[in-house]
Amino acid sequence: MKRLLLFALFALLASAQMRVPDAEQFVGPPRGTPLTGAALETESHTLASMLRCPVCQGLSIADSPSEMAINMRGQVRELLQRGFTHDQILTYFEHSYGQFVLLKPKFRGVTSFVWTLPLLVLIIGVAIVVMKMRKMQSVPT
Amino acid sequence: MSRTVLLFGGIITAALIAILYAALGNDPQHIDSPLVGVAAPNFALKQVGSAANVDLASFRGRPVVLNFWATWCRPCWEEHPLLTQAAQLSDGRVQFVGVVFQDDEKKIIQFLQQRGWAYPTLVDERGKTAIAYGVGGVPETFFIDKNGTIVAKFDGPMSSEALMTNVQKAMR
Repeated sequence: MKRLLLFALFALLASAQMRVPDAEQFVGPPRGTPLTGAALETESHTLASMLRCPVCQGLSIADSPSEMAINMRGQVRELLQRGFTHDQILTYFEHSYGQFVLLKPKFRGVTSFVWTLPLLVLIIGVAIVVMKMRKMQSVPT
Repeated sequence: MSRTVLLFGGIITAALIAILYAALGNDPQHIDSPLVGVAAPNFALKQVGSAANVDLASFRGRPVVLNFWATWCRPCWEEHPLLTQAAQLSDGRVQFVGVVFQDDEKKIIQFLQQRGWAYPTLVDERGKTAIAYGVGGVPETFFIDKNGTIVAKFDGPMSSEALMTNVQKAMR
């Protein structure tokens, strides 16, 4: 019994000294409500679907069976349990991996073209069609 | 076809060709780390073969070569002799640290005993440290200067030239 207690104390001391980088030092303290139960499962899946698995070909961490994705899903779940918001969690992963990790790129910098270019092309296309139609109407038959 | 259509079509095609041409030389496996230029995320992880933890902050004051690797990773096998030799040659002026990623401690000890054990190797349980460093695959190596700032990152197994170049950046 004494040995067991000593071992437990030693394990506790060792784990107390062990420290992994914490999201809080990058995105500040949790700004949301700690999640549990069904809400935790739903939100974990939603967020995992928004993060790219860095070792896969275009898969989200929600869909990937890789160990990397499992670890990332675990971290998402833990952060939600601690009360971090969606935005804080996405910012944390973006801080480490860059925008690459976001399956839906944010509207800023070069990636804003991803959103604006198709719209711009559509507007130009419509303008050309309208111009053409007007021209055709103005030509006497 | 009208001149307007030709003009807009030409502009769009030229822009697409320019983007594709610019991306041709890029390595699709290489993604710039947003951590270069910022403070290295701190950690204290358990050392392989010991109960002691090693704190990254304890190496402040000298450059650190932080190598993420695993025993199941073939390119890591190729890189290991270079890192071991460089750590021995640097004689403590540069601190080499290995962080083992998604691996089993018994296998790590066996690997290091067979292939050389020249610097602290730490276990990253559940990959939290690797995630904080944005590690996607192994090997990946971060070069940290004496003030604790990441100055460079290298993806894949390093050549001696790549190692030297990046160590020099960390020593500046």
